[in-house]
Amino acid sequence: MTAIDVQATADTNAILSVRGLAKSFGGLKAINDVSFDAAPGQITAMIGPNGAGKTTVFNLVTNIMPRDAGRVTFLGRDLAGLSPVRIANLGLIRTFQSARVFPGMTAIENVMVGNHRLAAHSLPSQMLWLAGARNEERQLRRRAEEMLELVGLLQFAQAHATELPMGAQKLLEVVRALMAQPKLLCLDEPAAGLNDTETAGLANLLRAIRSLGIPVLVVEHNMSLVMNVADRIVVLDSGALIATGTPAEVQNDSRVIEAYLGRENHAAS
Amino acid sequence: MLEFVQIAIGGLVVGSIYAAIALGFSLIFRVTGAINLSQGGFALIAAMIGHTFGVAWGWPLVAAIPAAVVVTVAAGVVLARFTFVPGLARLSNANVLMLTAGILTMIEGFSLVVWGSQPYAMPPFSGEAPLAFGAILIPTQAFWVFGATAVCIAALWFLIAKTKLGKALRACAENPAAASLMGIDVPRMTLFSFGLAVLIAAISGVTVAPATSLQFDTGRLFTISGFVAAAIGGLASFPGAVIGGLFLGLVTQLSTAYISSLFSSAISLLILLVVLIWRPQGLIQGGVARRQDTRDEVKAGGHAVKLPAHLGWPLGALAVIVAAIIPLVVTNNGIMSGLVIAAILFMALMGLDVLMGYAGQVSLGQAGFMAIGGYTSGYLAINHEVAPVLSILAGIGVSLVCALVLSVVTLRLRGHYLALATLAFGLLIDSCAVGFLDITGGPSGLVGIPSFSVGSITFASPRAMYYLVLALDVVILIGLAGAMRSGFGRALKAIRSDQMAAAALGVNVVRYKLAAFLISVTLASLAGSLYAFFFNFLSPEMVGTSRSLELVAMLIIGGESTLVGGLFGALLLTLLPVMVAPLAIYKTFASGALLVTSFLYLPQGLYGALVQIVAKLAGSSERASATQKEARAS
Repeated sequence: MTAIDVQATADTNAILSVRGLAKSFGGLKAINDVSFDAAPGQITAMIGPNGAGKTTVFNLVTNIMPRDAGRVTFLGRDLAGLSPVRIANLGLIRTFQSARVFPGMTAIENVMVGNHRLAAHSLPSQMLWLAGARNEERQLRRRAEEMLELVGLLQFAQAHATELPMGAQKLLEVVRALMAQPKLLCLDEPAAGLNDTETAGLANLLRAIRSLGIPVLVVEHNMSLVMNVADRIVVLDSGALIATGTPAEVQNDSRVIEAYLGRENHAAS
Repeated sequence: MLEFVQIAIGGLVVGSIYAAIALGFSLIFRVTGAINLSQGGFALIAAMIGHTFGVAWGWPLVAAIPAAVVVTVAAGVVLARFTFVPGLARLSNANVLMLTAGILTMIEGFSLVVWGSQPYAMPPFSGEAPLAFGAILIPTQAFWVFGATAVCIAALWFLIAKTKLGKALRACAENPAAASLMGIDVPRMTLFSFGLAVLIAAISGVTVAPATSLQFDTGRLFTISGFVAAAIGGLASFPGAVIGGLFLGLVTQLSTAYISSLFSSAISLLILLVVLIWRPQGLIQGGVARRQDTRDEVKAGGHAVKLPAHLGWPLGALAVIVAAIIPLVVTNNGIMSGLVIAAILFMALMGLDVLMGYAGQVSLGQAGFMAIGGYTSGYLAINHEVAPVLSILAGIGVSLVCALVLSVVTLRLRGHYLALATLAFGLLIDSCAVGFLDITGGPSGLVGIPSFSVGSITFASPRAMYYLVLALDVVILIGLAGAMRSGFGRALKAIRSDQMAAAALGVNVVRYKLAAFLISVTLASLAGSLYAFFFNFLSPEMVGTSRSLELVAMLIIGGESTLVGGLFGALLLTLLPVMVAPLAIYKTFASGALLVTSFLYLPQGLYGALVQIVAKLAGSSERASATQKEARAS
């Protein structure tokens, strides 16, 4: 097998496998030939300077935007042409960069919506107040409370989600995604807007999620968080992949340093 | 050929009025991003005031007409200052649209109170004799109409394109948040554009008055034609408004002349629906691309109120018992009928609440499905002697088929485009109810519908009907409450507040919206059928667009996303006019005024306010008993 073939074939072990992803906005190549994998049981972090195209990659993977080229496989299945809803129902659950809790719903209701794709009972059984549907509802509520307790938000259970502090809203969104029992959890800048204590809490949550066996793909700006928790790091700059590796490898990669610190610095040294 | 030219000229006269009103729509839409349905109301008010000044009080027209315009603009600005401007800051686009529907209802009700329901005619400005061009006769008033519209268009273009004020208005249109950071007083600009739109409406109202007959509800016709014109032409575009208006005028006049007057509005509405499917932005795209994100932020912040869980069942049971006793106490047949009507409308309102309150999908055409249900079941019961239960089911079936066809349009639309499409649908059904004489009996209605019966049991008296409808209401309420408190209701609420985030969690947005829509359609159709069986009669205005608007008013006044809120709105608006007969003439005005007030000052509705009181009482009594226990323990 030639090197090019290796590039083009999806890694069969990977949960998510992205090959040759590309997207242009007008003349601007926002994403240019990006390939990476998310491995089972690992936290994969995607980093890069502002405007590197990290969120765009998320949107292309989950088909929120159509991609120009490239192949995305999730659990061995090609995602081409699937709607965001179908993708979510395959177990690829994502959060959004700006916390998108559901306004007009309480914190616990938000968490309960997360379970939606797994709910067994249908509209008629809910309308008839059948025992099965009511039991499911009770159990769901209990699980939601447990999850809220896990992240220290139980006190806010009945509060309206938008009235929570920013950090709590971010956590709530992660918990809501967890309720969907993701096969891969994709988090878009979960630490944005969090203070240091909240970030430390988030790091612990991410490790806990990994220990549950749920792989995580996280886009993040916060370097200390990424270096602390990530197993593998993918670095983007100006829409192109410039490095992949363990935190230690990436930290010492000259191209990464260049991308973050700028070329002038490099020239001076 | 001569006839054609004559008709076409008539079409252009009507069309330029539509164009002027559409221009007002476009202006407000461009500056505020909202649609103002009260436009036509101001045109009517100006015409009516002009009639009072010029005919009733005998002022010379030279003084009466400008005075009417000035009075109307002043009234419009004051009204907007206290309703539209504050509403814009607080409400979502679709709710602003319904707020303006409330303002229109208010204006209509006001005209009914002041001028009654008889038609008025204005004398032409410059004599009755038409001008002759060869064999073609053109009424002089047509030149006034053309002239006024042309002046409005030119002045508006100059203002927007050439002045500093125009630049500020355009800034508000493109990004109000940034405009206010640049020191532009956005509320004042909003008020100014509203005043300007009222001015255009008033001028077109007074100039067209001699060419048409005026009645308290003519304003709605102006609004509807203007909005259809604006939507066909492209809401954000001034040339679009003008072209849309002239096109619509021609189409309606030609189809009235060559097809049937009964179907002329149906044809224009079909054109609108086709445009909405094919090019939701209208035929001509506006030069200004309004950034949706700058206004859509104010969305679904509403906090639904809930009874404390332990009070729900006891209070519900109490309410059912009270409702069951009422007929034993109330002997007045009028009040009993009022209660039946309220209970029937409550059925439609629960459906509307699922659609609007929970799923956040605005519908201004709900009475259209009442009409389909009512006419289908009435027709089958009269002409084919189908048993009422079966005919009701048939009505629901026909309604669901229509709903599926309509959903091809509505599922693609959001916010005000959705509201407009449903309004257009309601109007379309309205005009079909008038037009299909053989099935519906036309404007005079479908007579001889039997009373509702199951086997040999007939529900002929209001009391019997009351118990039937009450039982149905309770069953429906329990069923919907079960769905709304579980996963189904949560999925709808999630869609209402953030479609994309809901989809990312695997909520099938399209399927849930459709389910909510079909539930609401089923209930509206059922309500329409029962309505027909109860009255033994059904006419277009019983299930027309004013009914759709009334349903929305009832829901908002009662409190949305509560399921039971609608009952409070229905009781208030149905029973008050029955119990206090002198108030009946104020009903339209009151329902508009209450809708506007509820939107602005009572966002959780009457039910929400009641629940808050109950929760407070329950909370304080609990605290009191807790402190007593503590006192005893110590």
